Amino acid sequence: MKSSDPDALIAALVDDLAPAAPLRRWRGLTMFAAATALTVAIVVLGAGLRPEIAAGRVDAVFLLANGLFAMLGIAAATTAISMARPQVGNRHDGWAWAAAMVALLPAAALAMQFIEPQVSAHGLSEGRCAVASVALGLIVTAGLTLWLRRGAPTSPTRAGLLAGIAGGSVGTFAFAFHCAHDDLFHIGIWHGAAILTSAAIGRAVVPRFIRW
Amino acid sequence: MIADDATLVRLMVSAQKGDRQSYAVLLKIAAGWLRRYFARRVAPPFLDDLVQETLISLHRKLASYDPARPFIPWLAAIARYRWVDQLRRIYRAAEESPVDEPTVASDEDAVSARLSLDRLFAHLPERQARVIRMVRIDGCSIAEAAVATGQSESLVKVNIHRGLRKLALMVERE
Repeated sequence: MKSSDPDALIAALVDDLAPAAPLRRWRGLTMFAAATALTVAIVVLGAGLRPEIAAGRVDAVFLLANGLFAMLGIAAATTAISMARPQVGNRHDGWAWAAAMVALLPAAALAMQFIEPQVSAHGLSEGRCAVASVALGLIVTAGLTLWLRRGAPTSPTRAGLLAGIAGGSVGTFAFAFHCAHDDLFHIGIWHGAAILTSAAIGRAVVPRFIRW
Repeated sequence: MIADDATLVRLMVSAQKGDRQSYAVLLKIAAGWLRRYFARRVAPPFLDDLVQETLISLHRKLASYDPARPFIPWLAAIARYRWVDQLRRIYRAAEESPVDEPTVASDEDAVSARLSLDRLFAHLPERQARVIRMVRIDGCSIAEAAVATGQSESLVKVNIHRGLRKLALMVERE
């Protein structure tokens, strides 16, 4: 569309103008909430709710860990949503504190392995849990990618990373309603691995869809 | 033509609703602002291209402007993004010509200082900022930059690469 005559370019752009509804933050948040609800619904309706949860008995580790995953998902998603609307003076680093808090889970799991080594009793089923969480996370990651495509993220790699972290966190949070393991090792290592994998996928794949 | 931010916001809000007359005025003002903004930070032969690329980005990303916020910091973020993108793309032959000082109205000074491209360089280590300026803006070769800075040629390349990566992460930083 570039032209040797700046006035000609401006005339062409004016001619091409179509109404553009501004990206509203609440719309992005609504999209994220809907994607999260869909992810949880797929787990509950498709895989089934854990019997303990259905009976109203939940473990403290479950509550604590999933609270942290939910907070990380919210922090990463709200940051990604904000990144669609650039402005000099914006800061996009609040999510890092939530990530640091979640990192305590695998750190504590590894520390406990040094202090009191244990062989996991769950075997390969633990890996399936991580794979399912990553797959479920794609719903939120895809939603955020579409949002970011409409916007103008000035750091596509950072935005892609955040879309991946948000997806992984929500996928892990949702799958925990089915996952039968509440021990710190499983949650710290395998649920943590799911978020790391989603983050890597988001960082590697999403930028090519949102670069502008 | 220099307009205050409130006027630009009004024009942009009308443009988002499809008002072509407001949009034409807005684009002309934005083109002038961008020309001044980039003036000393882009080699003259690339200035027109960069201004046009930024106007096209503005056009494609109209929806990313939030009417509740000021216009100029949004335009500056888009301009910085395009500028860093151009720095990453272009190695050019040295071509220096004197450039007039940008004519910025005094009431724009405070805002311009916060939004300026120099402000981004201030966050880079001097060894990175210097070689990026020399090679990507002033048009020196890698060998010339190496001699002038006392860095090896491979170190110049590494510092350019690292510096541009950092710049890309700092586009919205004040």
